[in-house]
Amino acid sequence: MIRYCIQATGARFVKAPSLFLLTVFGVALGVASVLAIQIINRNAIGAFSAGIRAISGEADLSVLGQTTTFDETLYPQVLGVKGVAAAWPLYQVDAAVEGQDLLFLKIYGVDLFSPVRPPWGSPSEDLSQAVSEPGWLAVTPVLAREMGWSPGDSISVTSGTRQVNLLIGALVDFQKMNPLASRKLAVMDIAQAQALLGVSGRIHQIDVQMQEGSDRDELRVRLQERLGPSVQVVTPEQRESQAADLMGAFRLNLTALSFISLFVGLFLVYTSTQASLLRRRTEFGLLRSLGATSEQVLGLILAEVVFLGVLGVLLGLPLGYWVAQQNVEMVSSTLTNLYLLEEIESLGLPVSLYILACCVGVGGALAGAILPALDMSRRDSKALLSVVTLREKVRSVSGPLFVAGWFQLVLTGLWFWFFGQNWKPAGFVLAGSVLLSLPLLTPFLIQKACARITVRGFNLAYALKTLSTQLQNTSFASASLAIAVSMLVGITLMVGSFRETVRLWVQTTIQADVYITTPSWRAGSEATMDEELVAQIVSHPGVESSEELRRIFVSTGEKRISLVGVEMKLAEADQSRFTLLAGDRLKVHQQLKEQGEVLIAEPLAYKSGLEVGDRITLYGSQGVREFPIAGIYYDYSSEVGSAAMDLATMNRHFGPSPINSLSLYLEPDREPDQVIDELKARFPEIPLRMRSNQHLRREIFEIFDQTFAVVRILQIMSLLIAVCGIVLTLLVLARERVSELALYRALGASRFQIFRIFVGKGLGMGLIGLTLGTIGGIALAAILIYLVNRAYFGWTIQAYWPGGPLVRQYVTILAASLLASLYPAFRASKAPATELSRDDF
Amino acid sequence: MISRWFLPLFLALQMPVAEPEWKIAEPDFEWAFPRDHWAHSGYRTEWWYFTGHLTSTEAPRRRFGYQFTLFRIGLHPQPSRLDSKWAAHSLIMGHAAITDLSGRRHVFSEVFYREVAMLGGFGIPDDPLIAWSLPPAGGADRWELLWNGEGFDFKMSDPVRGMAFSLSTTPAKPLVFQGPNGYSRKGKRPGAASQYYSFTRLRTRGTLSLEGDRWQVEGQSWMDKEFGSNQLAETQVGWDWFSLQLDEGQEIMLYHLRDPSGASDFARGTQVSSTGEVRYLETEEWSVQVTGNWTSPVSGAVYPARWKVRLGDTQYEIIPLLAQQENRSRLIADLYYWEGAVSVVNSEGEQIGQGYVELTGYGTNNRPPV
Repeated sequence: MIRYCIQATGARFVKAPSLFLLTVFGVALGVASVLAIQIINRNAIGAFSAGIRAISGEADLSVLGQTTTFDETLYPQVLGVKGVAAAWPLYQVDAAVEGQDLLFLKIYGVDLFSPVRPPWGSPSEDLSQAVSEPGWLAVTPVLAREMGWSPGDSISVTSGTRQVNLLIGALVDFQKMNPLASRKLAVMDIAQAQALLGVSGRIHQIDVQMQEGSDRDELRVRLQERLGPSVQVVTPEQRESQAADLMGAFRLNLTALSFISLFVGLFLVYTSTQASLLRRRTEFGLLRSLGATSEQVLGLILAEVVFLGVLGVLLGLPLGYWVAQQNVEMVSSTLTNLYLLEEIESLGLPVSLYILACCVGVGGALAGAILPALDMSRRDSKALLSVVTLREKVRSVSGPLFVAGWFQLVLTGLWFWFFGQNWKPAGFVLAGSVLLSLPLLTPFLIQKACARITVRGFNLAYALKTLSTQLQNTSFASASLAIAVSMLVGITLMVGSFRETVRLWVQTTIQADVYITTPSWRAGSEATMDEELVAQIVSHPGVESSEELRRIFVSTGEKRISLVGVEMKLAEADQSRFTLLAGDRLKVHQQLKEQGEVLIAEPLAYKSGLEVGDRITLYGSQGVREFPIAGIYYDYSSEVGSAAMDLATMNRHFGPSPINSLSLYLEPDREPDQVIDELKARFPEIPLRMRSNQHLRREIFEIFDQTFAVVRILQIMSLLIAVCGIVLTLLVLARERVSELALYRALGASRFQIFRIFVGKGLGMGLIGLTLGTIGGIALAAILIYLVNRAYFGWTIQAYWPGGPLVRQYVTILAASLLASLYPAFRASKAPATELSRDDF
Repeated sequence: MISRWFLPLFLALQMPVAEPEWKIAEPDFEWAFPRDHWAHSGYRTEWWYFTGHLTSTEAPRRRFGYQFTLFRIGLHPQPSRLDSKWAAHSLIMGHAAITDLSGRRHVFSEVFYREVAMLGGFGIPDDPLIAWSLPPAGGADRWELLWNGEGFDFKMSDPVRGMAFSLSTTPAKPLVFQGPNGYSRKGKRPGAASQYYSFTRLRTRGTLSLEGDRWQVEGQSWMDKEFGSNQLAETQVGWDWFSLQLDEGQEIMLYHLRDPSGASDFARGTQVSSTGEVRYLETEEWSVQVTGNWTSPVSGAVYPARWKVRLGDTQYEIIPLLAQQENRSRLIADLYYWEGAVSVVNSEGEQIGQGYVELTGYGTNNRPPV
C-alpha cells in the first residue's frame, strides 16, 4: 500500500504538475504567513529577554524606578537587606553616534569594580583605564567590525545637546551568551556614564543576586518594604511578561491576520484535493473492488495530503523566514516607537517554530482535505465506478449552506450582544464568523446570480452562467477570493480610516513651525537640552513664542506610561497641542495650570476605565501622588498610554530636569526652513535635530505607514493565495471538463471562443469574490475599528472611505483574476475534439 | 612587613606600570604621628593589617585567632573630576577571619567597594575614623577602623558567615619602624620598597561573635601599616611572612619572597627586644626550613605547614594551630592565601610564643584579575 501510495503521488504530479505545484504553493504561502509573524513575534520577545539577560545576567531580582530613574542612594540600602548576596547598579544612556544616521549605542554605565562577575565576563584589558581614561567604552566585536572601530579609536557621540568623544577601550562580546542581544550594547564605568552622558545622583536599575537558600518572593517583599514606593522590585520573569503584555495586542492582531492567510490557504487545499479525488474516482473504485477497505483508501488519500503538506512546509519555512527578514526592520521600529522596547536585530528560528510550521502545513492540508477524503473513502466501489457524477453535490446543499451561514452569523451576533461585549477578544470571534459565513453563503449567491443570466450564444454570458453549473469548484474559488478580498478591503478601510484620523489629529497637534530636539532623543530615552541653549534659541530673531516639553516615564502602579510636561499657556489654549475628547479647552488649561491637574490620553482612559473628575495615581521618584483628571485627549502616538501636565507641576512633583524638546512659533513673515538654517549656523557644534512642521508631519506618516507595512505583506500573501485558487479552479475545470470542451470543439466552437469562455469564468469568479469580499470587508473593517481597536488599543478611529486605494485594489484583483485565467484558458482552448469519451454521452 | 602588601600588589599588577604621578617610598620619609595612621592617597597601595590571639574572659576559656585588614587601592594619583558620586579615587577592600582554635574552624569574610561616600572611604587626620566600608551584602553594620588616641578600634560583621568582632587596642610597646626610618625594601632593584611601621604588641579587648555565640575577649594583637607604589618583581611569585610574639617579651618579624622555583629571592627581618630595641636582620642572619605541608582540599594549593627557624644560635619551631586557615575570596576570582595563627616552640618542645604566618603565591592562577 505504501509503495502504491508513493507511486500514486508521483503519478499525480506527473499528470498534473501545475495543479500539484499550485496546491503546494498555497500551503507554503499559508505556512509562510503564519511562520513569518510568529518569527517576528518570538524574536521581539527574544530581543527584550536577551537584552535583560545580557546585562542583568543571572540576577534574581531587579530594582526599577517608578519613573525612569531613581535615587542612587537606594543602592547601599539594597546591599543592607538580609538575603541579598550581591547587587550592582546600572545607569543607561542612549547615545547617538555622530555621522551615522540612526545608530544609537545603548550604553550601560556599570560599576566595573562591583564584586560581581558580569554575564559577559570581565574585559581582559586594563580596568584602571576604564576609570581613568575619559570616555572609555567597551563595545561588541560585531559592531566594532561593522563600523571599522578598533581599541584605541575615538568616536563622537551625542546625548541630548552634549557631544562627547568616547574611546573604544575594549571589545566585549555581550552576544556570546545571548545571540539575540543587541550588537549596539556598550558598557562604560558608571561614573563616566553619569558625568559625560547623563546626570549625577540617579540610576536606572539595581540588579540583585540573592543568598543561596533565600526565598525570592520574601526577599522581593523585604526589598520593596525597605526601598519604598519610588521603586518597584521585579523578577526577570515579571519584566519579560510585562514586555510581552505590552506588545500583546500588537502580536495578537498580527497573529490573527496571519491565520486568515492560512484560512484562505486551506480552501486551496480543499479545492485541489477535491479535484484530484474526483479525477481518481475510478482508481478508488478499482481499489475497493480489489479488496481495499475504506480505511485503506482514506489512509492512501491522507498520506498523499500529508506529503503535500510536508512539501508546503519545506517551501513555507524559508519563505516565512525570508518574509520575516524583509519586515523585521519595520516591525522593530514599531516596537521601539510604540512600545519603547528593544529593537529586533537578528532573527532566531527556534525548534518550536519548526514544529509550528509542520503543524500548520500538515495540519492545514489535512484539515482542507479531510472532508472530500472522507466523502470519497466512504463510497462503495459501485458508486465510484458509476458513470453518474455526484460532484455537483454543492448545488443541492447550497440552500442549507446559505441558511447555515446566516444562522451562524445571527447566532454569533446574538452571543456578542448578550455575552461578548465585555470580553476583549470578542471582536475576533465576530471577525471569524464573518469570514466563515462567506464560503457558506457563496454557492447559493452564485447560483441565484447566475440563474438570472440569459444565455444567447456561446459567449461571456454562457461563461458566467456555467459558473453555477460547476458550483463545487467555482464557489470555493470565489469564496477563498472573497475571504482574501475581505481581509484586503477590511484592513484597507481600517488603515485608511486610521490614517485619516491621524491626519486630522496631526493637524491640531502639530501646529508649531519648528520642532527642535536632539539626535539621541527617541522613544524611551532621556536626552535633555541644555537650559542656556534653550534660552538662546527661544530668543532667536523671528521666534514669536515657544513651547517646552519634558517627557518622563512614570508608573501608575500597574503600567508604565509616558508623562508629558508642557508649559500650559492660557492665552494660547485654543492652539493647544491637546485635542480634547470633550470639555472647554480654556477651563481645562486653567485646571492644569492653576490646580496641578492632569490630562490623560484616550487609550489610558479607556483601558483603565478612568474618566474626567477621577483621580489617577502616579508613582514618582518622590513617592505616590494622586492627580485629578481634568480632561481626556486624543493621542495616537502610543498604545501604552500617556498623560500630560503643566511643566511646573511636573517639576514640582517629579523633580526638576531640563526639557527634551522645544517647539517654536515663528513670526508670520518667517519661513521655518530659513530659521532652521540660521539656528544651524548659529550652533554648528551642538547636536540638534530640527524639523519644520511639514517635515515632522511627513515623518509621522512614515512611521504610521511603517507600522502597517507588515499588515500589507499579509494582505498580499492572502491575495496571492486567493489568486492561486482561481488559477487552480480554472485548471481543474479545464481538466475535468476536457470532454465537455471537446464536445464544444466538435460542435464547432473555435479555440478562441473556448479561451474567451475561460477568461470570462475567471473574471466572473473575480467579480463574485470581489463583491462578496467587499461586503465582508466592510463588516470586518467595522469590527476592527469599533471592537478590536477599542478593546486592544483604545483609540477612537473615525470611519473613512479611502476611495483611491480601494479602486486600485479592485482593478488589481480583477487584473489578477484575468491573468490567473489566461493559462487555464489557454490549456482549455487546446482541448482537442478527439477527447470525447463514451462517458460523456 | 612584606605580608601586608600582597593583595594590593596583586591588584596593582592589573594596573598600568607605575606612572610618574604616584609617589614612591623614600628612605627619608618624614613621619608624623598620629597623622600617618590615616590614609596616604598619593601612593598606589596602602593597608592596615591586624592579627592576634584572643581568649574569652569567662570560663570555659575559648581561644581564637583573628585577622582584620583594610586595603586602599589607588585608582588615580589625583581625585577624579567627574561629576558623579561614583567617581572614585580608590577602592577599599577588607578581609577578616576568625580561627576558632577551640572549635577547630576558620571563617573568612570580605568586602570590596569603590571609595565613594555611599559605600566606603578613608577619613582625614583629627577625625577618629581612619577607614570604613559597608559590610558584605546582606549585612547592616559597617566595617570601621578608628584611632582611639592611643591605639586602634575596629569592628566588622558578616551575618551571612555568622561572624563579627569589635575590638579595641592599646599599645603594650611603642611603634616600630620596619626597616631604617620605616623604609622597607622588597627586592634587590632600587626603589622596590614601601613605607612601613608596626605595633608589634597591642593589648586587645572586645567582643567576638561566631555563629550565634558571643564572647567577651582579650588578648594581644600585631598591627602593620604600610603604603607604597612599587610593583612586585616579575621574578617573585609570592612570599612567606612570620610575625612572632615570644612570651618573654621579644617580637620577631621575618619574610622572604620566592622565585618561581620556590627559592628565596629576597629576605629581611626585624627583631624587637623586650625593652623595645630594634635590630634589622639581613638575609644571612636567619633561615627557615619547611618541615611539613598541607594541601587545601578546596583550592588544591600545597602550603608549607611547619617550619624550623634559625635566628643566630637560636632555633624555633613554628606550628600552625589549625591546618585549615586558608582565606578564599568569593569576590575576586582566584584570590586565595593562607593566613593563620601559629605557636612558637623551642628546641625542647615547649611553647614559648605565638604568632601569625602568611603564605601567598601557592597553587595556580592565584593572581586576581580585578
